[in-house]
Amino acid sequence: MILSLVFFTFSFVFYILTTALYLGYWVFKKKWLGQTATAMAFVALVSTSMILISRAGESGHAPFSNLWESMMLFVWATNAGYLIMEYKHKFRTIGIIVMALESIAMLSALLLPYRFKSVEPLNPALQNKWHWMTDLLSTWGLEKYAIGWLDFHVFTTFIGYAGFAISFGLSILYLVKEKSETKTQRNSLVESFPPAKTLDELSYRAIAWGFPFLAVGIVSGAVWANYAWGTYWSWDPKETWSLITWFIYAAYLHARVTRGWRGKRAAYISIAGFAAVIFLYWGVSFVLPGLHAYAS
Amino acid sequence: MPENVKEAPSGAWYRTVGSKIWYFFNSLKLTLFVLIALAVVSIFGTVVEQNAPVEQYVTQYGEEWTKFILSTRLNDMYHAWWFLLFLAALALNIIVCTFERFPPKWKSLLDHKPDKFDSGLIDKFSHRETVTLNASSDAVKDRLLNAFKKKKYGVVSMGTKGDYYFYAWKGRIGRLGSDVTHISLLLILAGAIVGSYAGYKDFFAVNVGGTVSVPQAEFKLRLDKFWIDYYDSGQIKQYNSVLTVVEDGKDVMEKQIWVNEPLFYKGIRFYQSSYGQSWNRVQEAQISMKLKGKEALEPPVALKWGELTALPGGKYSVKLVGYTADFAYDEGTNQVFSKSAEASNPAIKVEVYEGGKEVSSPWLFVRYPGIFPAIPNSDVDLVFTGYIPVMYSGISVNKDPGTNIVWLGTGVMGLGFIFAFFVYHRRIWVHVRETGKSTEVKIGGTINKNNFVLEKELKDLTESLASD
Ligand code: HEM
Repeated sequence: MILSLVFFTFSFVFYILTTALYLGYWVFKKKWLGQTATAMAFVALVSTSMILISRAGESGHAPFSNLWESMMLFVWATNAGYLIMEYKHKFRTIGIIVMALESIAMLSALLLPYRFKSVEPLNPALQNKWHWMTDLLSTWGLEKYAIGWLDFHVFTTFIGYAGFAISFGLSILYLVKEKSETKTQRNSLVESFPPAKTLDELSYRAIAWGFPFLAVGIVSGAVWANYAWGTYWSWDPKETWSLITWFIYAAYLHARVTRGWRGKRAAYISIAGFAAVIFLYWGVSFVLPGLHAYAS
Repeated sequence: MPENVKEAPSGAWYRTVGSKIWYFFNSLKLTLFVLIALAVVSIFGTVVEQNAPVEQYVTQYGEEWTKFILSTRLNDMYHAWWFLLFLAALALNIIVCTFERFPPKWKSLLDHKPDKFDSGLIDKFSHRETVTLNASSDAVKDRLLNAFKKKKYGVVSMGTKGDYYFYAWKGRIGRLGSDVTHISLLLILAGAIVGSYAGYKDFFAVNVGGTVSVPQAEFKLRLDKFWIDYYDSGQIKQYNSVLTVVEDGKDVMEKQIWVNEPLFYKGIRFYQSSYGQSWNRVQEAQISMKLKGKEALEPPVALKWGELTALPGGKYSVKLVGYTADFAYDEGTNQVFSKSAEASNPAIKVEVYEGGKEVSSPWLFVRYPGIFPAIPNSDVDLVFTGYIPVMYSGISVNKDPGTNIVWLGTGVMGLGFIFAFFVYHRRIWVHVRETGKSTEVKIGGTINKNNFVLEKELKDLTESLASD
């Protein structure tokens, strides 16, 4: 029995429950429901961490090396990012959309064929460790858990994706809320979301985290490629799509900062950007040929 | 920052043209256009496979489309002139915008004249608070200065008793984030340009024991060993080569390389990139003697490469001098060559000596024993039965003096991001006015981004004023 898959099953249930609790809080507006939802989101975060930790133990390397493992990292980072945001800004109703995204991500991970979930040893190109870390850990005999540029690359990239996912969710909420704010007849459910202006600002803040992290991800990927393939940039489809995505968000930032694009137009760019993220993450692996294909 | 609208001044034609060009590149609309355009055209290059053989495009897209692909360079898009043109436009856009915007920004950062203070200003801010306190204006002034100091603001105050004005600021450096980021992009582009002009890429297939000369360098490289590590499950774990750098005939450096662990020497990197069986060399070949007309083979004899070996019976000696993995013969030039790198039709060439005299030098085939008699006018024949291959290691070579500029650029970009996204430029104006027994404090300000931070800051400030 693979422990990480057991934790996966638990986590899946937790995310569904969390989504239901946020939904309940949104509909019934009971404070205790909201607090329970937050607590449940935290339980789901711990459980997702356990998936990653147990997978590291099972495979003997950082758990970022196949599609399923990276999905778990995505779910983890999005949840952590959301909880930090909730803690800082105290807007609980937006939990419903983020947790719905999390449940969808868990569901798609569940539906992956087994060969994308199995525990695999690292192929030669994925073995990149920092020497200093290997040396340090070898004093305790733990050198096989040393990480390197590749792990750093995946980790930072997925924090970036998490930021974009949160921004995507907030942009959708923004569009819904903005529409209802222009109407005279108000819907009390939509009303309980934060003001459209706040949603717009929060969505921008999420991108302000995602954008530099994606940049660090791209750069650390280039550093790794320079070790593994001998050049830091080779225009392979995954690399190119990461740049495309990054340019879309750069356009978002510029439109916002220099041309004052807020609200609707900003929300549309954020949604387009997230579509690019999804293609970058899934589409490229399955549709386009290249060095990164997790799917091959 | 508002769009800088400048009319082209009249004058000599070149001036007019020059300023038109300058004006064109001084546009933030252009930035948006170029960013989106680069994103969109880049997609083509991920859909059409890059640098594939022409036949592949023909089978995939047909004749007509292949012509189109080749003439637009879609098959090597990221090096096509029109793609580079977009990159150049981006670079020029950045340069011109920085020239136009940076100096005034720098000035306004250093120099913020508070003397133009207008108390109506505070009412215009969307972030503002007004509180009334039961304290003298001097007490409020002290509290305020303290609070600003605690929050590490720079402050200037003016006005007279009963009517004070304050201007406080923090995080000015955040304003430079975008400039630092833009300069870093120029550095990265510069590094890429240096790399493509001053560097090169190459590939060697080196046989174990073989030596190759490195282009544009004063040293050679020898492959001492090549091997593959496996996991217990049989999957490949790693490819390894031991390389020695030979300079002026001396071994100066030895390193084991593997995928992800290159050898770096004098600005050139050597990477493990592939491996295989040599197509023109074997370590050892086994042959057997056979009486003509009989089936039975004598026990095999191992021939080492290039060494003369006596065959049983003592009449003949044989030397192994050639090998080809996929034997082919070109009638035009009388040349033997290997059709492919695969051992599909392995053949060896031996020299046969009788009493010290070379009597023949036949090719022998594993697949086709005895198709040509090995020794003319003899009652024995030679049969090639097996061999031990020589492995070659595929080593990629890359010299790229631009790499360090690129890394420098990425470091600068990191700094730029910290400034741009995590340092907020806050400016706060306060008007303290004593009215009889109580003091009214109007406080308002702006932040260049992240309004939440300012809201919280103003709340903290008013709270710390209210408490003693
Ligand atoms: C890939 C290309 C580019 C990237 C990644 C980039 C990145 C950035 C970043 C991160 C910011 C700060 C945004 C923020 O504060 O939220 C920014 C702002 C800005 N960028 Fe760019 N930029 C690029 C190209 C350009 C170009 C070509 C121009 C040409 C003029 C330009 C002009 C500006 C201006 C004027 C600002 C606003 C500065 C301010 O108000 O503080 N950028 N850029």
